[in-house]
Amino acid sequence: MAALSFLGFLVLLLPLTLLLLLYLIVRPKPVRIPIKDRHVFITGGSSGIGLALAHQAAKEGARVSILARSGEKLEEAKQSIQLATGIEVATYSADVRDFDAVKTALDEAGPVDVLVVNQGVFVPGELEVQSLDEVRLMIDVNIIGSFHMIKAALPLIKKRQNGGPASIALMSSQAGQVGIYGYTGYSASKFGLRGLAEALQQEVIADDIHVSLIFPPDTETPGLEEENKRRPRLTSIIAASSGAMKADEVAKKALDGIKSGSFIVPCNSEGFLLSIATAGLSPQRSVLMAFVEVVAAGLIRFVALCFQWNWYGSIEKWHAQGKTGVNHADL
Amino acid sequence: MADLSFLGFLVLLLPLTLLLLLYLIVRPKPVRIPIKDRHVFITGGSSGIGLALAHQAAKEGARVSILARSGKKLEEAKQSIQLATGIEVATYSADVRDFDAVKTALDEAGPVDVLVVNQGVFVPGELEVQSLDEVRLMIDVNITGSFHMIKAALPLIKKRQNGGPASIALMSSQAGQVGIYGYTAYSASKFGLRGLAEALQQEVIADDIHVSLIFPPDTETPGLEEENKRRPRLTSIIAASSGAMKADEVAKKALDGIKSGSFIVPCNSEGFLLSIATAGLSPQRSVLMAFVEVVAAGLIRFVALCFQWNWYGSIEKWHARGKSVNHADL
Repeated sequence: MAALSFLGFLVLLLPLTLLLLLYLIVRPKPVRIPIKDRHVFITGGSSGIGLALAHQAAKEGARVSILARSGEKLEEAKQSIQLATGIEVATYSADVRDFDAVKTALDEAGPVDVLVVNQGVFVPGELEVQSLDEVRLMIDVNIIGSFHMIKAALPLIKKRQNGGPASIALMSSQAGQVGIYGYTGYSASKFGLRGLAEALQQEVIADDIHVSLIFPPDTETPGLEEENKRRPRLTSIIAASSGAMKADEVAKKALDGIKSGSFIVPCNSEGFLLSIATAGLSPQRSVLMAFVEVVAAGLIRFVALCFQWNWYGSIEKWHAQGKTGVNHADL
Repeated sequence: MADLSFLGFLVLLLPLTLLLLLYLIVRPKPVRIPIKDRHVFITGGSSGIGLALAHQAAKEGARVSILARSGKKLEEAKQSIQLATGIEVATYSADVRDFDAVKTALDEAGPVDVLVVNQGVFVPGELEVQSLDEVRLMIDVNITGSFHMIKAALPLIKKRQNGGPASIALMSSQAGQVGIYGYTAYSASKFGLRGLAEALQQEVIADDIHVSLIFPPDTETPGLEEENKRRPRLTSIIAASSGAMKADEVAKKALDGIKSGSFIVPCNSEGFLLSIATAGLSPQRSVLMAFVEVVAAGLIRFVALCFQWNWYGSIEKWHARGKSVNHADL
């Protein structure tokens, strides 16, 4: 009986010791990043998640700038925010693939407190049949475009008025946590953002700049409508494992994550599990989250292996049915 | 006493149940990919890890082709392999950034059994000071170049003579498992290969093609010598957590991994721990490795958090001493 109570005591002591150790070692430290009365600069801000972010940031009292390619869509976005919130956002027209245009826009916009690198394109397709132009487009806009934005913005973030912690937030995707059928180009581009972000955080922490990666699932945007026309059937089968969200919901999660300086920002419960599975060597500022990551890691890896069993099973079944090559979503 | 023996019984039963469950669910299934008398096509094959791979594959009886940009280096590589093994490898000169050139080379080389996408460039530097040309170079060669190679090679792999399981192996890096100071572009490019590989494996498994990602640490190659001249001091401090290896050793690990169809191929013990930490949603064919991943995951995440504590501590200390942009002491 004494043995059991001793065992029980150990069972309680272990998690408490872990919590204590984590409290001592967790770095970087947590941070709060306010957006009220601060300059929030959002790329891809004229539609989808970017537009929703602009709406919400404006409503919370931030000074908002949005960047996109189409002057017309920018104007519509500006009107829609004015109508909904009474606030006027600044608009800048530029293609993120053009560094000089981006630099000009940022210099005009002035010092930045929160940079949201949100532009992105996605065109699904099996690599075997996808055009390389589409692959290069995704790499150029999603990766190179992000490098351009950050490089151009860094001096302006360092010049921010009234100091305080700043944020560089990158819009990734659940496809940036796991690569699935039909997403070689898109997943390559979104995984790339993670490598960029992990290294960047180490480089900019000394300037009180905090990096966040947002990982939405399928989000109901004009972008998704376009994608669905091209999506291979097998992609839909496999991707059905995670539900879709509305742009407003994603924007709220994103802003919450940015304001708490979280490095990894999931948007729904499947995303939360994905984040634990892919915690890897990412920094974690929250002692509680760190505890969950350590304690749940093994179970979540087991669940991840179950997903492999399910996905590879679906792929096998699909091909056994005699469907080969390219297939597209039933319209 | 009965309580304790029951507890002991449970403690033994748990791992056994886990092993059984894993045995039932682990997918895709393990595979053996022979290279003897099969065509192995290696990019970046005229130096460093690629050249070492070519040597070893030739020695094991594979028909080897190497692709690189410089005709001169290709010729030297060919001679060195001939001298060491008596075997003649085929050489192709092309820049992986040029899809048409790559397609031409592959069409000339013929059906392929094992494609090793090994070309890569690395230029360290803080993003704040690094030239965007260097960033674009790494993305173009390391990511886009890899897409070009795979797209061009897929039809030739499907046409492979004598069937059998084929392999597409991508040379990543430990910088493709963790991003560190000075490596924004290089890590972006190498992390990208992981996204490509995870999706690609799902697309090509039905053609009996198996994808492998190799994750070497710093490897003693001409490439590393160049890099060391440019490496920020803080990068060296942080990267010192993992030891360097010789190109031959990396090539051996790589070939072993390719032949066993492993998706993730670490090269040293730090790499092994990194692989468990970053297992994520990667497929795992080995029941034993899957067991290790599940059982060690929590401890390894704790170790990873200790590394964060160490690294961010180093960064803080560095800046407290008042040093900003800095380069390796020569």
